[in-house]
Amino acid sequence: MGFLAPWFLTGLAALGVPVFVHLLRHHVTIPRPVASLMFFERGTQSSTRHRRLRYLLLFTLRTALLLLLVLAFANPFVRRSTANANARLHLIVLDNSFSMRASTRFADAKREALATLSARPHGDKAQIMALGGLLEVLTQPVADNAQLRSALESIHAGDGRASFGELGRAVRSLAETEHGSIDVDFFSDMQRTAMPANFADVVLPRNATLILHSIAPDRALPNWTVESIEAPADLADPKDPKRSHVRAVVAGFSTPAVAKTVSLSVNGKTVATRKVNVPSNGRATVDFAPLDVSYGFNRCAVAVQGGDAFPADDTSVFTVRRSDPGRVLFVHAAGDVRSATYFGAALAAAAEGSYVLQSMPAEQTTDLDPSRFAFVVLSDTPSLPSIFEHALAQYVAKGGSVLVALGTGAARRTAIPLWGASVQDVHRYSGLDNVPTIGQVDFSYPALEQSQPGHSNGGWADVKVFYAIVADPAQSRVAMRLTDGTPLLLEKSVGEGRVLLFASGFDNLTNDLPLHPVFVAFVDRAARYLSGSERLSGSRLVDSFVQLRASAQAVDASSNVEILDPDGRRPLSLAEARTAQTFRLERAGFYQIRFANGRDTVIGVNPDRRESDLAPLPKDILALWSGNAAGGETPSASASMPREEKNTNFSLWWYVMLLALAVAIAQSAAASGTMSSQRDQP
Amino acid sequence: MQRFLDPEVLAGISSLDLLARTVVDGFVAGLHRSPDFGFSQEFAEYRAYTPGEDLRHVDWNLYARTERCYLKRYRGETNSQLTVLLDASNSMQFTSGPPVKLDYARFLAAALLYLAIHNQRDAAGLIVFDEEVRDFIRPSTRHGQLARLFAGLEQASPRSRTDFSKPLLHFQNSLHRRGIAIVISDFYEKPEVVMENIAPLRYHGNEVILFHILDPEEIRPSMKGPAILVDLESGQKLEVIPEYTRTAYRARIEAHIEDLRVRARGAGMDYQLLRTSQPLDLALREYLTLRQAGN
Repeated sequence: MGFLAPWFLTGLAALGVPVFVHLLRHHVTIPRPVASLMFFERGTQSSTRHRRLRYLLLFTLRTALLLLLVLAFANPFVRRSTANANARLHLIVLDNSFSMRASTRFADAKREALATLSARPHGDKAQIMALGGLLEVLTQPVADNAQLRSALESIHAGDGRASFGELGRAVRSLAETEHGSIDVDFFSDMQRTAMPANFADVVLPRNATLILHSIAPDRALPNWTVESIEAPADLADPKDPKRSHVRAVVAGFSTPAVAKTVSLSVNGKTVATRKVNVPSNGRATVDFAPLDVSYGFNRCAVAVQGGDAFPADDTSVFTVRRSDPGRVLFVHAAGDVRSATYFGAALAAAAEGSYVLQSMPAEQTTDLDPSRFAFVVLSDTPSLPSIFEHALAQYVAKGGSVLVALGTGAARRTAIPLWGASVQDVHRYSGLDNVPTIGQVDFSYPALEQSQPGHSNGGWADVKVFYAIVADPAQSRVAMRLTDGTPLLLEKSVGEGRVLLFASGFDNLTNDLPLHPVFVAFVDRAARYLSGSERLSGSRLVDSFVQLRASAQAVDASSNVEILDPDGRRPLSLAEARTAQTFRLERAGFYQIRFANGRDTVIGVNPDRRESDLAPLPKDILALWSGNAAGGETPSASASMPREEKNTNFSLWWYVMLLALAVAIAQSAAASGTMSSQRDQP
Repeated sequence: MQRFLDPEVLAGISSLDLLARTVVDGFVAGLHRSPDFGFSQEFAEYRAYTPGEDLRHVDWNLYARTERCYLKRYRGETNSQLTVLLDASNSMQFTSGPPVKLDYARFLAAALLYLAIHNQRDAAGLIVFDEEVRDFIRPSTRHGQLARLFAGLEQASPRSRTDFSKPLLHFQNSLHRRGIAIVISDFYEKPEVVMENIAPLRYHGNEVILFHILDPEEIRPSMKGPAILVDLESGQKLEVIPEYTRTAYRARIEAHIEDLRVRARGAGMDYQLLRTSQPLDLALREYLTLRQAGN
């Protein structure tokens, strides 16, 4: 036992206070003179002794209280061997990531985990966790064998990608509440790709002992997989040579150079087969063109033939939706023909755009039904027929999208259509020496997305803006600003839909954006974003999320979402179907989803291909990892070598303070009793 | 002027003469309205002359008118003799706040003596005693008697313990004329012993008044905790707890007071309990009542 703050022990000098009060001061009694003792009697000695006893009790309590307070501040601790501590928590973590589907890895791991669970000392608590795409805690720390076995049995191999960093974080978090020793038994194939880049992420706390149970063989098994697929999510014309093709990349891990057969199947029917030479530990590209698919959603798969150690990753799925080109309604002012020209040209030039622009003056939109269009563009329309404006509002509320561009005409009208706010100000920059350009661009915004923006702020910095409307940015996302801070591109969610506000025009008068190449990319991405094909694209990774609705509040009964998983089951309950905003795609295969706005989609979900690399962690890394926690034992050695004892300082502060509190209460009660007996009776 | 001065105020007056005058004058001034009390030569009765009686008391005017010989008698024309027996034992120095019991007794004695000599023209004397007679001033009406008495009172200092037998025996031996004897004491003695010693005074025809002086703290002692008590006379120590003083002690001292009162009345004596917090007029009234009854 020791003290973490021994200097506070000088406070023991305060013990002199009760000693003085009780033992020195109290017993110096001044005799009291009386005229005569004629009427007094002794006979009271026992009561006085009793009182003295109570005083001594009070003295003892007060002394103990001071002593405990001083001890608490001195922070005593005991050095305790964690290996010998009685209370040990066995944390059994079973890796159920996608790579565990290879051969009999998962079954072996589960069997070994069950054996370890049975072999733990009787009475020790254990907790079961599954490490897949997420770390799932399946039980609380309990000693009930049946419950623990049941939890362990319920774990199945998943399609997620494991990260050992998740395990490290979970154990560190657990150690904050569990102060005893923790034995972490980790059953995994110890995949190299599961190790995070930063080794510090997997470091376990001092009271945790990591015991690694490696299931995989020491050497890496050869494995081929379809690493990636490039295919159009939407296809309007199968004979379009630019878009109607599928490009797949076949990768080999720890493989020799070999010729592989790769096939493309559409809706379960093989439509094309290719031979490809895959180099040793390399990649090969396979093209399938043209892609002949029928109308609607087509469930496609690219598979690499030939046996390997991990057949589950030989196929990669995706969906292609064939539909007529989407129609885009472009509403403009009567005198404005430039905007439609520029926007239409950009839309037609977009490589993957599958849209047909239908431009129309605002006055002729009275009888139009917006729901027939993929999205609507309002280009500098100072006034709209009220019927059409109402129809547009309904269209947006049900999930439609509108791009509003504000040109010079908007200044004549204070209210911005569908935006719910008025024009606050008008900035006219023409004639200024320093015409503002576009200063800030949010490249994470889907309509502006650029993974690696080039020079001049991705091309946007060259765009000069001569005229801009200032709109209230409240409750909206500002995706683009001018160099003077004026918001240029804003998005606001309205009902299930969205309104995109461009605070200038497309007419090459209010700005020179239509003359820049970035305009084409912007129109292309904005079109895909607004039409929703971004959400409906055909391929996702396991454990990615799909946004089901714009807000958590269900608008009406028809806004329920429906999801069918690869097994044809509905993973959402009725309550979740009314309120869930997002959904995690946790299985590989085809998900069929009906969004809250009524649109359907089919999404192909593939496991993360990093799981296909079956190379295990080098032994030295494993030794370093487990040694970091337990002094360098290896999984094989952990069974035969005795555990190294670790001494940890266990602080007694809380216990001392609790004891001090109890003594303080007892002291108060004793003092109250003693003092009350001294009060005079009336 | 305040009629009755608080004993605490009296304790601040150093001169017994001034104190006695202040008390008595205030007291007497308040009595002038009362028809029951008078100190001047007041007519009492006519009584038929019998041969041998002093002719000086014959009312000659009445004889001239009626030719009958009557004696005219007045009240107060006979002088009495007052002797104050002051207990100056150690127990009389107890106090819970001014005045000390002995001082209170001094004030009382001074007021009585002043009243007797200055107002009543009585002979007055003093015996200061504890277990012995410490001072004895024979009763007299001589000029300067009051000053001597006051000096005797001033010199009375507490010592030793109380013993009534010797001083009272001395008093009986030195007393040659009936009068009024006033015993001022705290009477820490068994009532039967007190009566046994004092009762002979009454047998000699004296009027006896017992002034029992006690401090309020002696009647209702207040104790906050166990304490060691020291007897002022014997020096004996005793450890006592408050529970006892709140119950048994009070009962015992009240029984003692009541016993004294009953025995004094039974022996034809007057008994008056005086707390040192009380004004002195009660004692003066008692004396005058007795003085008047004695005529």
